Amino acid sequence: MQEHTDILRFIINGREIYTQAPHDMMLSDFLRDQLFLTGTKKGCGKGECGACTVIVNGDAVNSCMILLGKVNGAIIETIEGLEKDGKLHPLQESFVQKGAVQCGFCTPGMIMSAKALLDRNDNPSKEEIREALGGNICRCTGYVKIEQAVEAAVEEIRKNAGKETKDE
Amino acid sequence: MKYYSPQTVAEALELLAVYKGQARLIAGGTDLLLDLKSGKYHIEALIDTAKIHELCQIEQEGDCLVIGGGTTHTQICKNDLIRRYAASLAEGCHAVGSLQIRNVATLAGNLVNAQPAADGAMGLAVLDPEIVVLSQRVERRLKMDQIYAGFGKSAIDNTQEIITQIRLPISKDNVASAFIRLELRKALALPMLNAAAAVGIKNDYVRWAKIAMGPVGVGPTRACEAEKFLEGKQFTEENIHKASQLALAQANPRSNPLRGSREYRMETLPAVVMDCLYAVQSRLEH
Repeated sequence: MQEHTDILRFIINGREIYTQAPHDMMLSDFLRDQLFLTGTKKGCGKGECGACTVIVNGDAVNSCMILLGKVNGAIIETIEGLEKDGKLHPLQESFVQKGAVQCGFCTPGMIMSAKALLDRNDNPSKEEIREALGGNICRCTGYVKIEQAVEAAVEEIRKNAGKETKDE
Repeated sequence: MKYYSPQTVAEALELLAVYKGQARLIAGGTDLLLDLKSGKYHIEALIDTAKIHELCQIEQEGDCLVIGGGTTHTQICKNDLIRRYAASLAEGCHAVGSLQIRNVATLAGNLVNAQPAADGAMGLAVLDPEIVVLSQRVERRLKMDQIYAGFGKSAIDNTQEIITQIRLPISKDNVASAFIRLELRKALALPMLNAAAAVGIKNDYVRWAKIAMGPVGVGPTRACEAEKFLEGKQFTEENIHKASQLALAQANPRSNPLRGSREYRMETLPAVVMDCLYAVQSRLEH
């Protein structure tokens, strides 16, 4: 049985991490303060804005409401893990191209929620995109460009995989 | 604060016993952590139920649907058995919080948090559930109205007890259920009003009706007069309309600056109940 003094282990953005950090530390604080992965933002600390969204074992979760002990042994993805060899992920690229970033504070959380969706569903409907992003609040953009950016990323990803999109 | 991740229910109960009330169970933690952050409780240890495999199953046992006490809202609302036999529960769980919250939060936690308009609890309330609660001493089987000890208070003590199962009867009759929510936003907002209904029909006549609504009292509140009115009657537009008006008899909403005044809620409750009953009507076999 896992006890509170045990060393915790995660796979974060593909890297194996061991830590003696306290099991009752928030995941968001661990990522930001101990690993210096400050792409994950703290907007409310209450699970009400989604700015802190990361992916744990394939599911989008609010890292400000997850204690380290809960995710021991988990595979965790943060926004920093999307870029590969200097190349942005299609979601990151389309957010930039479509003007879906204004102040940028919600952006990492938005992209991680979108990524969690696209990793499981490579051709989501508008409704499915809205549901996936429903837990992420944006004060700047009015959401339209964000939705368009996700749709553009879907097309790009499917094109790269040699598939047709819904409209074709 | 110490943190444990037991692998079995027995281990979890043993840990709770060792801490003598100074430890609490944490499932998803999306309500509990808010309470801890705000200083509502002071505890010495958290016992995480997420790694207890036996709590994470959803299975059919004969004519009973058995939902493990550790299943998340996402697991529940995506499950084929639940969508087929317990539509109001699938819809209620789907309405909770946001996807991020549903991915970790559990129906059991939703019940124990005991809020009057808890969406998962509301969807469950009309399905005649049996909630199995285990402590080191005894197993209790509670009906929906037995799990509330007052406004926002649970009759389940999560310093000593754990919900192991939520059991629902599966009927072969012509039965349908639905859940509905009046809301300012589609996510990240508590409901202004919510309601669930389940109706069993035989030869065009209502054999039984269960209607629950909130937040109009302690926990999901049954509209007993409306239910009694519908029994034995045809499930027509006129009777649905009359029943919806009768729902007011058991409703006692408070005023909330964000979610609606008492007056607003009393005006709109019949419309919400009516929409719910229409949704059930559309799902019954004709």
